Amino acid sequence: MSKPSPDVYEQGKGMDAHNAVMREVRSRNDSTYDPREPTRVWLDEDNTPDGVYQSLTIILNTGGCRWARAGGCTMCGYVAESVEGGSVAHEDLMAQIDHCLTHEDENAEDPSGLIKIYTSGSFLDEREVPARTREAIADTFADRDRIVVESLPDFVEDERVGDFVEAGLETDVAVGLETATDRVRHDCVNKYFDFADFEDACEAAREAGAGIKAYLLMKPPFLTEAEAVEDMKSSVRRCAAVDGCHTVSMNPCNVQRYTMVEELYHDGGYRPPWLWSVAEVLEETADEDVIVVSDPVGHGSDRGPHNCGECDDRVQRAIKDFDLRQDPSVFEQVSCECEATYEAVLEREHSYALPLAR
Amino acid sequence: MTDYFEVHERDGAARVGELRLAESVATPALVDDVDADTAGAVHTILDDAGSRWPAEPDIPEGDDGAVTILPHRGLPAGTPDEVAEAFADDYPDVAFPSGAVVSPTSAGDHPADISVLSGAPGYVGYGSAFVDALTTVKDAVPADTALYLPGVATPRNVATLVYAGVDLVDPHRAVVRGTEGRYLTTDEAYFLEDLGELPCVCPACQGPRDAFDRSDCVEHNVYALAAELARVRRRIRDGRLRDYIEGQARQDNWLTAAVRIMDQRYGYVEQRAPLIRRAELAAATEDAIRRVEIQRFAQRVTERYVPRFDDRPLVLVPCSARKPYSDSQSHKQYHDAIQWRAHVVSMTSPIGVVPQELELTYPAQHYDSVVTGEWSANEIEFVARVLERYLEGADYPEIVAHVPGEGYREICERVADSLGREFTYTVRDHPTTADSLGNLAAELKGWDTYRKSAREHRTIRAVADYQFGAGAGDELFGDIGTQGRYPQLRADDADGEQLAALAQQYGVLSLTTAGARRWVDSDVPTKTVEIEPFIPHGSVLAPGIVEASDDIRVGDEVVVTGEAAFGVGRAQMHGAEMNSSTRGIAVQMRHTEEL
Repeated sequence: MSKPSPDVYEQGKGMDAHNAVMREVRSRNDSTYDPREPTRVWLDEDNTPDGVYQSLTIILNTGGCRWARAGGCTMCGYVAESVEGGSVAHEDLMAQIDHCLTHEDENAEDPSGLIKIYTSGSFLDEREVPARTREAIADTFADRDRIVVESLPDFVEDERVGDFVEAGLETDVAVGLETATDRVRHDCVNKYFDFADFEDACEAAREAGAGIKAYLLMKPPFLTEAEAVEDMKSSVRRCAAVDGCHTVSMNPCNVQRYTMVEELYHDGGYRPPWLWSVAEVLEETADEDVIVVSDPVGHGSDRGPHNCGECDDRVQRAIKDFDLRQDPSVFEQVSCECEATYEAVLEREHSYALPLAR
Repeated sequence: MTDYFEVHERDGAARVGELRLAESVATPALVDDVDADTAGAVHTILDDAGSRWPAEPDIPEGDDGAVTILPHRGLPAGTPDEVAEAFADDYPDVAFPSGAVVSPTSAGDHPADISVLSGAPGYVGYGSAFVDALTTVKDAVPADTALYLPGVATPRNVATLVYAGVDLVDPHRAVVRGTEGRYLTTDEAYFLEDLGELPCVCPACQGPRDAFDRSDCVEHNVYALAAELARVRRRIRDGRLRDYIEGQARQDNWLTAAVRIMDQRYGYVEQRAPLIRRAELAAATEDAIRRVEIQRFAQRVTERYVPRFDDRPLVLVPCSARKPYSDSQSHKQYHDAIQWRAHVVSMTSPIGVVPQELELTYPAQHYDSVVTGEWSANEIEFVARVLERYLEGADYPEIVAHVPGEGYREICERVADSLGREFTYTVRDHPTTADSLGNLAAELKGWDTYRKSAREHRTIRAVADYQFGAGAGDELFGDIGTQGRYPQLRADDADGEQLAALAQQYGVLSLTTAGARRWVDSDVPTKTVEIEPFIPHGSVLAPGIVEASDDIRVGDEVVVTGEAAFGVGRAQMHGAEMNSSTRGIAVQMRHTEEL
């Protein structure tokens, strides 16, 4: 398995260039954050292999992703939410967890059956979250049903995942695979690992008694709308074929601050995907043996996935409906005049003239 | 190296050419993907071999019925330079018509027939970004590569795109706008639902208004784009695209900005602007003052032209509508009063000042300006500046301003003030009244008349200064005799051998080989086209050129020299274009001698 050490991930000149640019772009951000507060926390509903659960989603502020400090992914602005100094102490992390429990107490009638913890990095990386913090968090949520923790595939190891499995939780590791196509993951996203590493992580998770939830990114920079749709269809199918990967969360790219995607967007060289593309992929891959969900962030806005402005809310509702029911017929009930524009874009957009429509 | 594209005619950076595929396509052309089913008039000749971002496409086989766009990594606008360089494509030299995708950072000497400028949707709409991207790429790729600007053309912007140097556009944007319910015309992007009446009669617009839907709108948009391109091709052939652009670019502010920015970045348009044209030049907007032909004339009159009549009075007169000035009624009347006793210089907007010897020289004889009697502040400023610089380089004992009140008088007073010179004003009411003409004649009393030969010799020398450089008139034509009757003058050497003739239509000199040899032997920098050892008949084609002077402009006299021949002709390309082209006529020969 490849390791995210600088000597490896800076081998290729494309990667060097991406990293150099991303370091420069990120350096323009001078905000810092309180290490005793989580980046975000919210309540929602989620579809899992055991049905739909109320979920508590926690974006833990752990000091951020080490890959992002080397430069990192072209679309990811979450590193902007890191703390000064780069690491967060055990006590501070536990204070963040307390903060989230208070939020849940105040906003939900019952405790959530599903806990989801993201770090904008790797929860299972012990340089981000020390072993004793991980054990304490497993302990905190031992009375729930399911837990999802985010990690790069490198850190999916038996003993780390085991903390949660042994606490009696149905455990999933959320892996930001982005795409099953190595070339796109490397050259467009600038993420260093390979699909084979993801397959290894699924294997390791399965052996530890856990599952994998793959996160896919629809339409990284440099792809046409049609290429992005094809990339997602094939990625969903390839994920579905990997044992241990029972859920795919396919998310349209949005324009985050202090990223290369934002540079392109600013100069008129990037448009987030159409919501029609999300619908198309969900509809086309509905018969795959995997749960596929999507949560278009910032839908209907210029910086988020959008259609013409008239139909965005309707298509978004259909997508959310599909997430819970996995029924492709939800998309038959939405239509709009802008489908003709979308079709023309699929047909006529070339990578040398991006984007063809706003 | 291109076998499949040839430029036939140029008008500044714009060109009419030909894609030499199985079926020839006249450019600037509306081209589309080979499998497109676009309604309307398009050439389906583009075969995209695919993007290298998602996967490595197969190496295409290509064929001569289409231009194959080689596998590429398109770079959208905003791609950081490091990323553009790291992912730069390498293009193979292939035996079929091909296109290379380039960006301002990656453009170079690719062995392809067309260059596809990626990222255009980000540049178009912003004058400065557009001009930056376009001129950078045009300067980097071989001149005989067709430039394809994908995904951006509309009926409104396409004339300006072509004016800037684009050879190929596609209907993609016009189609997309149609699907959005936007009805495109050369002046607007109307909301279809706002149009009670369709302002067009193309085939798509023939039916009843209430049956006209978005698919008809797509079809109309493509027709409107094709029609505008046909108009632009006509304008280029006529040498009158700029006159059209000064009006058409007004339909969208960014287009006007792009045209002005190109004028400001003088080098790109100057290199491509011809020295002479047959066509009329319409000076109808304030932008006309900044066009290359006008700026170049003013620059050459003030920097190259040597005043040879400044041992006698200068008479400044207003220009006339009829050209050349000496054919006009008013100038004939001035002449009757002046009687070859003074040097006559005409003041005019937007040209500046025109010494009598250069009245035929393009564009002095070719422009037509809008006359209202009122001068704008810009016109006054420009003409005053040119007049002042002109006078700084001359040494007239007396300056007589035979000019009317409006504008002219203000300019003269401003310059007189600035130079600390006294001007004598001779006009009462109007320059052609008996009083005014009487004053003018009286003012010149006591001065003798100069000889006809002096006038003719100095005309030849003045044109030589203008054409070949400051002092070239004396260097090349110091000891000449003249034949013929003005304006059909010829210059001979002391032995009666002809050196040059004044081309009446353009007011420039056409050299003989004897004249050309003088040029080569003189200290005047010679514009030279060095050719392979062959004897050119009729024309020199670009592939036969070893090296050409960089400062050659279309319409320039050039010496053509090689081991087998020596001759002289008129340039059909600019120098850098001769050096980087592999097709096309570079020089139209006038005289060739076998060596």
